[in-house]
Amino acid sequence: MKMLSAIWDNLKGLYSLLVGMCITGRYFFQPLKTVHFPRDVVEPENLASYRGPLELARGKTDESKTRCISCQMCAKGCPGNCITVVKSKEGKNPVTWLYDFTLCCLCGACVEVCPTAAIQFSHRLYLVSTSREALVLDLLKDLEERVAAGPLPAAGAGTPDAKKPEARMPDAGGPQKAAGGSAAPDPEG
Amino acid sequence: MELSKISVLSLVELVVACLLVIALMVANAIVMVYAERKGAGFIQRRPGPYEVGPWGILQPVADSMKLLAKQLFVPANVDFLLYFLAPVLAFLPVLLLFLPIPFGPYLTALKVPDGVVLILAFAGFGLLANLLAGYSSNNKYGILGAGRAVAQGVAYEIPMILALLAVVFQTGSMNLSDIAEAQGSAPWRWNFLCQPLAFFIYLVTLVAETNRAPFDLPEGESELTAGFHTEYSGMGFALFFLSEYANMLLVSFVCATFFLGGYKGPILDGFWWTFIKAYAVMAFIVWIRWTFPRVRFDQLLNINWKWLLPLSILNLWITAVIIKLV
Ligand code: SF4
Ligand code: SF4
Repeated sequence: MKMLSAIWDNLKGLYSLLVGMCITGRYFFQPLKTVHFPRDVVEPENLASYRGPLELARGKTDESKTRCISCQMCAKGCPGNCITVVKSKEGKNPVTWLYDFTLCCLCGACVEVCPTAAIQFSHRLYLVSTSREALVLDLLKDLEERVAAGPLPAAGAGTPDAKKPEARMPDAGGPQKAAGGSAAPDPEG
Repeated sequence: MELSKISVLSLVELVVACLLVIALMVANAIVMVYAERKGAGFIQRRPGPYEVGPWGILQPVADSMKLLAKQLFVPANVDFLLYFLAPVLAFLPVLLLFLPIPFGPYLTALKVPDGVVLILAFAGFGLLANLLAGYSSNNKYGILGAGRAVAQGVAYEIPMILALLAVVFQTGSMNLSDIAEAQGSAPWRWNFLCQPLAFFIYLVTLVAETNRAPFDLPEGESELTAGFHTEYSGMGFALFFLSEYANMLLVSFVCATFFLGGYKGPILDGFWWTFIKAYAVMAFIVWIRWTFPRVRFDQLLNINWKWLLPLSILNLWITAVIIKLV
């Protein structure tokens, strides 16, 4: 009896091998899933679930302002010490909000801990640089630029122009400028 | 006088055949490097080699250039003679094994009456090369890989021989041309339908004998770095690589001859049929490599000793009984 069940099990195992081969055989003929980066970019709908570098969320009442109240919770909670928030003299809002992407492990602790939900993950995929300094991002400036670009691209910056990789690069401004503006290498070159 | 003329002629023939076989082995390795990587890519739904030449077609050239340019690094405390002998020993027997294969009705390098015995006898040499490579390189991964290679090779050789023997019983000849000839032109008379169990057992053992995934334990890179050829670089590694693909090609040709009708086809018998069939088997080997995960070592030996060996003996026995009765 035991032997019969062992034989039956093995036959079932053989069948599962066949199923596996059917799957890979089918995949062989199906279109590719990967994107050939410099010549091609990811479709915006595939970016929706991508957790890229941080960005500041827009204010609830005033869309052009940040929600950050400079409480320093994120800076304290960050395991990588990536965040520098400097409070302004007049009010609660920050004057500097620097984020060192080279140290960030995208753990999300800062997003969790923020009392005003001022931080969120962006969908920025094409963040490339040849220097370290260029990846220290000035998020306040980034927010300003997004505000200037348009009213409300709800799910993160730059989603409308996801087709153009250049538009997703960190712009040569703010701290990047000091680094020689090498933040956005020509993807074709 | 007459005799010496004949022997000189046959010697020239043999040399030409050897050169052609070497050319075939190298061409096969170049084609298979590309085909395998492309196949892996498509199965995983990515493009595979893409940047070198159109569709990455020059990738094997770039790879071999890289291998040629690499430094031949010899680690300390190797067994010098064996260390250099092992890759050569892996490469040369394969060369010999191609000679009795009937590629076409007239295209056989060495017409020997007992081609099956020749192939089975010298197939073990590759194993010896793996063992020597692992042993001589004085490396723990190497010696582990070598041990696995021997345990696996010795185990899987037995059902392989028994499966082939069933076909030999059926044909009543050990001559590979006879075996191909006996199957006839019609695909439904080929041996994979007359001997389905032997065909299946042979398919499993050929993957194990060539150390390919899912039976690639001697070189399982996640456990043993590269197994028996961990310490080989540059051309030594290239020779192992070449002989691995040549071994694959060889077992595919044997499979085509024994089970798939050899050079016989529905129309126009000829060497093209052997090549088409052999490369179909190669494609199958690549396909299963990228489908199945590697088995554990005890599973590997269990498959062999508990399933393949009894099944192949049973198959041989049934074949003998049927032959006696019919
Ligand atoms: S995601 Fe984690 S590592 Fe990155 S800034 Fe936030 S807390 Fe720090
Ligand atoms: S935790 Fe939120 S509110 Fe507090 S400093 Fe960080 S971003 Fe600003």
